[in-house]
Amino acid sequence: MKLYDSLIKFVEQKLGPVAGKLGSQRHIGALRDGFLVAMPFIIVGSFILIFANPPFAADTTNTFGRIWLDFVAAHRATIVMPWTMSMGIMSLFITMGVAQSLAKSYKMDQVGAAALSVMTFLLVAAPEKGWALPLNHFGGTGIFTALLSAYYSVELTRFLKERNITIRMPEQVPPAIAASFALLIPVLTIFLTAYPLSLFLQANFGMQIPDAVMMLFSPLVSASNSLPAIIGALLLCQLLWFAGIHGANIVVGILSPIFLTNIAGNAAAYAAGEPLPNLFTQPFWDFYIFIGGAGATLALVILMSFSKATHLRSVGRMSALPGLFQINEPVMFGAPVVMNATLFLPFVLAPVVNAVIAYIAVNTGLVDRAIAVTPWTTPALIGAAWGAGWVLKASILTAVLMVIDVLIYYPFFKVYEKQVLAEENAVAASQTVAPVEGGQQVTA
Amino acid sequence: MKKIFLCCSAGMSTSMLVKKMKAAAAERNLETDIIAVSLSEFDETITEYDVCLLGPQVRFRHEDLARQAAEYGKKVAVIDSMAYGMMKGDQVLDQALALLEG
Repeated sequence: MKLYDSLIKFVEQKLGPVAGKLGSQRHIGALRDGFLVAMPFIIVGSFILIFANPPFAADTTNTFGRIWLDFVAAHRATIVMPWTMSMGIMSLFITMGVAQSLAKSYKMDQVGAAALSVMTFLLVAAPEKGWALPLNHFGGTGIFTALLSAYYSVELTRFLKERNITIRMPEQVPPAIAASFALLIPVLTIFLTAYPLSLFLQANFGMQIPDAVMMLFSPLVSASNSLPAIIGALLLCQLLWFAGIHGANIVVGILSPIFLTNIAGNAAAYAAGEPLPNLFTQPFWDFYIFIGGAGATLALVILMSFSKATHLRSVGRMSALPGLFQINEPVMFGAPVVMNATLFLPFVLAPVVNAVIAYIAVNTGLVDRAIAVTPWTTPALIGAAWGAGWVLKASILTAVLMVIDVLIYYPFFKVYEKQVLAEENAVAASQTVAPVEGGQQVTA
Repeated sequence: MKKIFLCCSAGMSTSMLVKKMKAAAAERNLETDIIAVSLSEFDETITEYDVCLLGPQVRFRHEDLARQAAEYGKKVAVIDSMAYGMMKGDQVLDQALALLEG
């Protein structure tokens, strides 16, 4: 238990505070909230992509499949159009969302900031040709550029404002009019900085800024598809959650550009009929690793729902419905799992085992890679299939992982149940309710 | 009218607790307005509501949110984790009311 004690000490004293700082850091917060702005467009957009690519072989004899395939073949461009204008240009929504969130955190003009970041992004990522904007960097390959455009334009505006480099208006001028002048200098400064950089890269390296940015971030993106990186990210999430800190809020917040870059790469390949390049996606994370929430606690919730101990049974049943929708705060704080030494091992082990098995299954092609983004609150069995383009194999993988999770949790759950039962019996015998302090103890 | 809001990562799990708190308030014939919001909605909500309770899983934001709330003379507290886990609306309502009194 010495290792456990020093680990907990590390999480509480070192990791926790750092995570707290990261979680309240405004650029990370803006990243997380800004990406949320783009999510509805991406979720519904990716849904359309699946519709445009029926899960049937080209020579299927299935009547339903036949009709679907023929319909899509005849109207493909018309059907794909909404996808292009939602998921296909997601970087545009991301740059707006991130700039707006960041401006909000600085209490600056939000719409102005969003508009300025869109201009910055377009200026460097979409060199117009004959009154048309090429869309090739509006999707996955433009995500990091969109992010940088938002940060740059907002920080620049703030910098100029703080240095009082602005067009001053007399007091009598209505605030709205003054605000419309406030952005003049930032727009000009972006013309004079971002645009020359873009021209320089094009002239000397034949690259657009998004190409250069993707080149810088590509090691990070390809590393994200490796098992050690996946396990590293999930362990961080698990340790934070074990200390009662919303790990996903921080870890997924930072991972979101990678998740989207990966899924956009897959969606583009899928639309083009090419093999899908990326393994590590949001559906992989949510519906294979964290079935029922962090720690894959749905398995524990199932065990608890049939427990002999009243406390565990009632918390288990109360946590069942939220758990089905990937929300696990009730079981985390109610069982509790947080800081519960008995449940520490399965809590950490179950997601790791899920990740390893899912990695092998997806990497060998046994189960399809994800092409669609889903709401994270989708029940895992449905979400897995949806993410992979309505492939049943994905749900089967999730079901198998759930059974394994139950087996992993079972022995530890039994030990814990015994502790709780002993406590409940003691309380029943004495009838003097003296709740023990939380921590490793059991509080009924 | 007591205006209370709960706040967590996405406002999901706190919304479960809101239901229980409303039931507890109704039992006591208390007139309340209780809602759950995500962390990103804190800024605009704190101006309209009297007090904020945070889910224990986002207590790492307590310090800076409390500072923001103080600008409006309002208070922010972290919900007791056991009461949260057990979804004890009654107890959390007490916590919110005590915060409003103090």
